[in-house]
Amino acid sequence: MKAFNRFRHSKMGMTGAVMLLLAVLVAIFAPLLAPYDPYAPSSPTIEDIYDSPSGAHLLGTDDGGEDVLSGLIYGSRVSLIVGFSAAFISVLIGGVIGLVAGFRGGHTGNLLMRFTDFFLVIPDLALQIVIVAILGQSLRNIIIVIGVLGWTTTARLVRAQTLTVRERKFVLRARAVGGSDFYILRRHVLPQVLPLMLANTVLVISLAILSESTLAFIGLGDPTLISWGQMLNFAFSRGAVSAGAWWALIPPGMAIVWVVLGTTLLGNALEEMLNPRLGRHHLEKEVPPKAEPGSPPDRPEVLLSIRNLKVSFEVGHAPLIAADGVSIDVHRGEAVGLVGESGCGKTTTMLAALRLLPPGGAIAGGQVWLDGRDLVALTPDELRPLRWRHFSMVFQGAMNALNPVKTVGWQIAEAIRHHDPQVSPDGADAEAGRLLETVGIGRDRAGDYPHEFSGGMRQRAMIALALACGPGLVVADEPTTALDVMIQAQIMDLLASLRAEMNMSLVLITHDLGVVAETCDRAVVMYGGVVVEQGTIAEVFRDPQHPYTRLLLAAFPDIDEPERLLASIPGTPPRLDEIPPGCRFAPRCPQAFERCHTERPPCYPLGPRRESACFLVERTWQGVSDG
Amino acid sequence: MTRGSLFLRKALWALVTILVVITFNFFLFRVLPGDPAKAGIKDPRLSPEMVATLQERYGLDKPVLFNTGEGGLFDSQYFRYLGALAHGDLGTSYAYKNQPVSSLLGSALVNTLWLVLPADILAIILGVLLGLVAAWRRGTKLDVSALMFALFTWALPTFFLGILLLFFGSHYLGLPTGGRVTIGLDQGFWATAGDILRHLLLPTLTFALVLLGEYMLIMRSSVVEVFSEDYILTAKAKGLTTFQIIRRHAFRNAMLPLVTLIALNLGFTVSGAIQVETVFSWPGLGKLTVDAVAQRDYPLLQGAFLMLAISVVLANLAAELVYLRLDPRVTEA
Repeated sequence: MKAFNRFRHSKMGMTGAVMLLLAVLVAIFAPLLAPYDPYAPSSPTIEDIYDSPSGAHLLGTDDGGEDVLSGLIYGSRVSLIVGFSAAFISVLIGGVIGLVAGFRGGHTGNLLMRFTDFFLVIPDLALQIVIVAILGQSLRNIIIVIGVLGWTTTARLVRAQTLTVRERKFVLRARAVGGSDFYILRRHVLPQVLPLMLANTVLVISLAILSESTLAFIGLGDPTLISWGQMLNFAFSRGAVSAGAWWALIPPGMAIVWVVLGTTLLGNALEEMLNPRLGRHHLEKEVPPKAEPGSPPDRPEVLLSIRNLKVSFEVGHAPLIAADGVSIDVHRGEAVGLVGESGCGKTTTMLAALRLLPPGGAIAGGQVWLDGRDLVALTPDELRPLRWRHFSMVFQGAMNALNPVKTVGWQIAEAIRHHDPQVSPDGADAEAGRLLETVGIGRDRAGDYPHEFSGGMRQRAMIALALACGPGLVVADEPTTALDVMIQAQIMDLLASLRAEMNMSLVLITHDLGVVAETCDRAVVMYGGVVVEQGTIAEVFRDPQHPYTRLLLAAFPDIDEPERLLASIPGTPPRLDEIPPGCRFAPRCPQAFERCHTERPPCYPLGPRRESACFLVERTWQGVSDG
Repeated sequence: MTRGSLFLRKALWALVTILVVITFNFFLFRVLPGDPAKAGIKDPRLSPEMVATLQERYGLDKPVLFNTGEGGLFDSQYFRYLGALAHGDLGTSYAYKNQPVSSLLGSALVNTLWLVLPADILAIILGVLLGLVAAWRRGTKLDVSALMFALFTWALPTFFLGILLLFFGSHYLGLPTGGRVTIGLDQGFWATAGDILRHLLLPTLTFALVLLGEYMLIMRSSVVEVFSEDYILTAKAKGLTTFQIIRRHAFRNAMLPLVTLIALNLGFTVSGAIQVETVFSWPGLGKLTVDAVAQRDYPLLQGAFLMLAISVVLANLAAELVYLRLDPRVTEA
């Protein structure tokens, strides 16, 4: 139902469906619509040939003195009959071969795919011509030939889909409890494969219609039937071009275009509906951020000052607020841990601060001061020279953060040379080697490609890359997820020692509180797009002021209290389109009272660089501000 | 597996495919009704002696696949066919005054390449550029019009587009309606070259337009995919300009699927050539195929089909080679 609604809103799909429906109606009611019967015997005189359009013949007459419009109307029958029947045969063959190849796998699957590959390289029109020429030109033969030769795309598609379904849990479970192959295919695999096959069928129909018209144009149509390709063949080979009889050429051609375009639009819309491709990418034009006037922080020790940063995402109609007034200060040489569950806006905040938001995201307000400049107010051109030299980032899942077709050393040297053209290529290579050595990868591996590195090594290489231009600030986003525990510890130690050595500031985004306690000076806790608490490690870990922080800590093992039971926090962070009106944590908070559900708690400063956004601390805060 | 031996394996697979094509081709024309070789000797005017002589000449007295009788296992129609093929002997044409099929195919292939190569190169260059820009400016008017154009050219039968251009070109631009040169024109090298170019213009344009939409679509989706990869974000974070990102990080990665798909689409190119050559009476392989069908010239049809199929297999192999050069990751099959 949901899919159907999406389809109804697809302009492309509806246009295609209407175009195809019209063609089908014309084909069905051809005898009622056509002014003449093109199959009736006639005895044209020379004057009847290539008559230009007139009241008697709306689209003129053709090379045989027949009414073009009537031929056009009857011709739709052949196109659609061939299109639908041939597509049925193709999808049946392709479906069975694809299902078996995907479901069976192994030798059978391989053999079937080799077979498919073979047919894929045979030029299909040439083969169709050969076979129709040998078998004879009847409607039946044409349908069979187009149908039997058109199955390869379906087979590949169905196989790929079956392969993914086969590994899904419900299929594995059905197999484990002893379901027969046939049962599993029918109950579990087919329902997942059929919708995709349906979309594919529509595209195969359009191909079959094209093939039919091409064969007919070449002179291999059924000579007893009127089809659009045939009409074009006769008109073209019997002087319509030199006679200037455009009416005998253009209408049948446009009729083919009409039907093929209709089916293609419909097929594409169906495919898009079943398999929506977002298709957004990193190089789309940035939505200009909303800069606000302000002045740089007056204290020289502040390197990065994020102030009241707001990030919105355009999803559907209403913009969703992913970060709502986040303020974080990072001092020079300081390590700040940004913690919270997934989906709390940690990464979004930092990506926004570095002007690297994914497409659809935009800075809706706030300032980001770094080294005396507001990054929000800079144009992309002004920002580019600052990137990597002043701030760099170690991205989450460094598996794909390196270009697979360039060597690791090249990618590091590229950054160095880009920001300092004075450095010679050899100098940059040497520096890249040195950096790789710093992170514990041999200099000699600089010429390797990323796929030749292990996961841990790739993460180290990414860190080496982040350090390439000696930035003052490095943001590391979950640098150790997906790595095993030993490697995790090594990477974190490496980051900590490099930071001290190079006197950088580090913002570490993680949900691992242990890592934060070990490597950071300060902790910032985020929930639902806002900062709920921040302070030094000692303050936040020893004396948490926000119930969310307390629950996070309770969910985390503590080496000092090995006997303590770990408590999970019931529920999940709020979805961006369902942000509660009051405190965002109120629905999950064990200490929430009435006010929490209706009113947003502000951030109460509890001391120098120490704050909590909870009504429970209001009294303490008053104590602080009064005293 | 090293890259060299990997390529060797691909080459071997291509060889196997060609062998299968040859065998398939042989049986297609022998087994199906209307056996071409038999058709010639079924003429009732021939005396039984003449039939026997003809049968012997064409080897039709031999068994089809294996000879279990006298003359050795391989003295059969199939192996004789293979042997003749190895010497470049594809038989003689019925329709073209008994000319050897191989020489007819040779000159036709050259003509087809004259048509296909410029059009294909033009379409690839334009398709890659337009696809790149459409992907980069995804969702803009430019992207939407590019998509619409591609959908429309896809729905436009190649032969119909050819007819349209021919109609327009001959009536309004005074361009020739077909063929390769104006017959009887002999005014020196430059005049002839100009004349050939005038003949080439419309067919090349038709071909290029048809291929362009296809290549553009492939490139567009490939580029959108690459542009959304993490390493593009890394490149952006490094401070590279969009142009630098595309040139150094996106282009090669985006070309990878394109190379494979261009190879897979070669069948599409062949069917385009058949149609364009038919409309513009261009004396290439495609026109030869269609003429062979019209005249039921089976040796020629068989040869033309074989040539087309082998060209596609070889071009596929070339694409594999390009892929191996572009992607350092390919080390296992």
